[in-house]
Amino acid sequence: MANDEMSKILEQFDNLRADKYPLEEYNNIGKRGIRRLDGYEKASGYAEYTMDVQLPGMLYARFLTSPYPHAKIKSMDTSKAEALPGVRAVLRYDDPGLPEVADLGGHVPSEEPPVKKITHFQGEEVGAVVAADTEDIAEEALTLIEAEWEERPFNLDAEEALKPSAPLTNPEAFPDGNLESEFIETLGDVDEGFKEADRIVEFTSTRLLHTWIGPERPCGVFRWNGEYPEFWVKQQRPHVAKRAVASWFGGIPMNKTQVHILYQGASFGGWTQLPWNLGGMYCAAVLAKRTGRPVKWTFTRREDFYGGEMDEGYYYCKVGFKNDGTITAVKARGVFANQQWPFGPTLHFIENTKVPNIHGTRHQVRVNKGPNTAIRCEQNPNCHTLTLVFDRVAYELGIDPTEVALKNDGAHGHDMTWLNERKAEMGFQVRDSLRECVEKGKAAMDWDNKWHPAGTKRLPNGKMHGLGFTWSHEWEDSAGSSEVAIRIERNDGTASILAQRCDCGVDAETSYCQVAADELGMRIEDVYFRPQTDHGFFTMTPDSSTNMSVNGYAIRNAARLLKQKILEAATMPRAVTQQGSFPPAFPDMKPEDLDIKDSAIYVKADPSKRMTLAEFVGPSFGQGPMAEYEILLGGERNMWSEPFFAYSYQVQVGAYSDKHPRPRLTRQAHFCEVEVDTETGEIEVTKVVNVNDVGKVVNPMACEGQQYGGTYMGVGRGLTEEIVHDPVTGVMLNGNLLEYKFATINDVGPIDTILVETGMGYGPYGIVGIGEDIATVVPALLGPAVSNALGIWIDDFPITPDKVLKALGKA
Amino acid sequence: MNAQPIDTSKYLCPYCSTSFDTFEALKAHVIAEHKTQPLPKPEGLIRLTINAQAYELEVEPNWSLYYLIHDKMGLTGAKMFCDRGACGSCTVIMDGRAILSCMTLAIECDGKTIETVEGIAAANHPLIDAYVKHHCMQCGYCTPGFVVTAKALLDKNPNPTDDEIREALGGNLCRCGTYPQHPKAIAEAAKKL
Repeated sequence: MANDEMSKILEQFDNLRADKYPLEEYNNIGKRGIRRLDGYEKASGYAEYTMDVQLPGMLYARFLTSPYPHAKIKSMDTSKAEALPGVRAVLRYDDPGLPEVADLGGHVPSEEPPVKKITHFQGEEVGAVVAADTEDIAEEALTLIEAEWEERPFNLDAEEALKPSAPLTNPEAFPDGNLESEFIETLGDVDEGFKEADRIVEFTSTRLLHTWIGPERPCGVFRWNGEYPEFWVKQQRPHVAKRAVASWFGGIPMNKTQVHILYQGASFGGWTQLPWNLGGMYCAAVLAKRTGRPVKWTFTRREDFYGGEMDEGYYYCKVGFKNDGTITAVKARGVFANQQWPFGPTLHFIENTKVPNIHGTRHQVRVNKGPNTAIRCEQNPNCHTLTLVFDRVAYELGIDPTEVALKNDGAHGHDMTWLNERKAEMGFQVRDSLRECVEKGKAAMDWDNKWHPAGTKRLPNGKMHGLGFTWSHEWEDSAGSSEVAIRIERNDGTASILAQRCDCGVDAETSYCQVAADELGMRIEDVYFRPQTDHGFFTMTPDSSTNMSVNGYAIRNAARLLKQKILEAATMPRAVTQQGSFPPAFPDMKPEDLDIKDSAIYVKADPSKRMTLAEFVGPSFGQGPMAEYEILLGGERNMWSEPFFAYSYQVQVGAYSDKHPRPRLTRQAHFCEVEVDTETGEIEVTKVVNVNDVGKVVNPMACEGQQYGGTYMGVGRGLTEEIVHDPVTGVMLNGNLLEYKFATINDVGPIDTILVETGMGYGPYGIVGIGEDIATVVPALLGPAVSNALGIWIDDFPITPDKVLKALGKA
Repeated sequence: MNAQPIDTSKYLCPYCSTSFDTFEALKAHVIAEHKTQPLPKPEGLIRLTINAQAYELEVEPNWSLYYLIHDKMGLTGAKMFCDRGACGSCTVIMDGRAILSCMTLAIECDGKTIETVEGIAAANHPLIDAYVKHHCMQCGYCTPGFVVTAKALLDKNPNPTDDEIREALGGNLCRCGTYPQHPKAIAEAAKKL
């Protein structure tokens, strides 16, 4: 039987089609009201974060930060800092014990200096790190460091940096100029497409820098337990932290490093993605070794503004379309500042429209600001263009933007007929995801009654009323590998999922339990996620744009194997000992005659014959769990006396794989309603409707949390969030939460969250992810909403009141 | 003002400044007249009540209340998110008012009564269960601050309107955007009080 299960599991490794073996009945998956595993800890204040860790004798480390946007240290005098009472060590950039470079985190092994000598943005950690008895002393010591800097000219703006007269942003890494790369993506022939068009519109948009704001600041703790290290790190990927640490100091065996990833305090990708994000850990490791004390390093809130989202830049868009709304060509060029990986601006036209002619260019330009990376998420540049282009077409034609979306839905230049054929081929039910999303969303917004031509509806309160709509596909990468084990405890028959913890707040651990409970036939309260991070199972974390699509399979695989083990053991003698043979729990039965429900094994033909898992596994006494049966010597090993433990894994390719591209099948649609005050320029978001086709819902409240939570983040990004640098000095001016404004409870009106289940996801049970989507789609949605209110396009994001007044000719 | 030279050979009563020749005489005077412990309170010593427990603590003048409770006492429910009074994550209740512990000096808390999220949870306040039920947390870092703010609101206003709840929570920042769930949980907890 187990072999059958294994062959099914192996078959599922090909995930380029519908789930072949979903469950027939769901008792916990999709159920509302399941108590979240981390809920009590987080509400009561007992949830522990890295920032809360205190160890005996622990020192505190703080970094010197650069006062200049581009400079090199000529010399540094740290003697006064070293003499300050309470300072235990100062680590300098020119320390002979430091390597030139080390693997300091990121997607792939990075090569970064732990303490830099040259800085490329103001506020960068550079020059020295101080370990002291308290944070206050460390901070004071930093002020006593005297550095002589060679200031260099700098760039803050991507377009300016491309001019021939611009200074070099980073002459060491990019000596030939500030254009790091040019990337072009194409489909069809845009020149032909523009010829076929009835109309052509061109526009330019800008997006200013914004960032993640992780509530827990970057931090970590490192201690040496004799020869080998133990460390606590705020990082979305425990395995990356282990890999990096194991490569340090000439190599430390992986099995002798111990990592703790506590609750994360959210990072939305950002910090974890950066190639220096373990630099603090490296310095803490050196300082801990030299002082013989544990060392905690921290960033201040100001220092957490270390990098930003990689949609900062300029968007030059040109769209050709027919009078009925059919788009014939899209050409776009993005000039992006400090993009860590090239993304945008036209990928979403390729992946989820039938637009046959597309030409996208992206220019990665280096400027002297922090590194820009994927912050919930890398698709921001694509969503920005898709929203503005589609809504521009609807605006120009004066037609409902939902119609333009439905008219152009498709994939890779093909229409819905083609896409529906692919759905059928892959074994999915053929449903029109976008149409379902749009219909549900329109009803919730009362769209048909509220829709009006741009700039035509003034409300009784004097404000202008606007409606906005946008859409996209799901873009979960769903690539990854995951190892998971599940174990049944003796005594009470409860189940423990063993996997690496890396909680980002998406309630993934409850979702894992829902999957395991349904697969094992157990009650949800009998399944628990072990809050351990380093028992060796390499589990995909809620990161790399994927979680349940990979982990869900791994947990399911392990649960199915474990269930088979339990049912086989139930039909075999529990033990054969010197005292005799103990009969099976279910004599004369075959495993297939049995099933498990509500944490009890029962006979399918006669459910009154049942035994709870607790009774089945038996109690433990002083001599261990099986001593009751296998008294002393001679116990024959069998299925029952083996630990009830199964492990499994999942490996799957993702949508971004060039080798296995696959069409995106599910869609999302978002609607918003705004009121714009034409006297003050203020924009009030009075209602938002999020509709996401997640394929299949596992944890409804967690999904909804990503919808309304993403909306709040998205509205902030669209209307208020921008990092401001002084153009003269290059200094960041608003690196704090008073002057960098994200949305409070009072900044968004009611949010309707609607989940659609078409089953057309590539994950187990047909799921797709949702965590990245809404915060990424919603920012640009404010553009069409404001244009519908005012009859004027404001393409400079965030759309702050001063820009509204300027557009109205009032400022 | 004419400064009086201090006679260092005398023992001064810290309460009434009467001087005595010996320490024993001062001690007898303080017990008899002031009905209290004879030794003057050392500088930096504060007496306060935290979560219904009396504490006598020596604090440095530059310590914030946040540093005292989080770092020194291990009451880590108060969280530092913004580090300058902008986010509400370090909120505690002091003498019935929700205050920001990162903006309050510990040395000024002598004689105060303080309630932290741990105390609210230990008292089985219905807010905790309501918060769990309604998924008022995602990453959870700001959640204790919300719970404390909500508790202070319910203490003053046991039946708040939706607008009153939103106004009370206006100073609590949540980057995950859990906001819509809080009024639901607080209204439900209010019903159970």
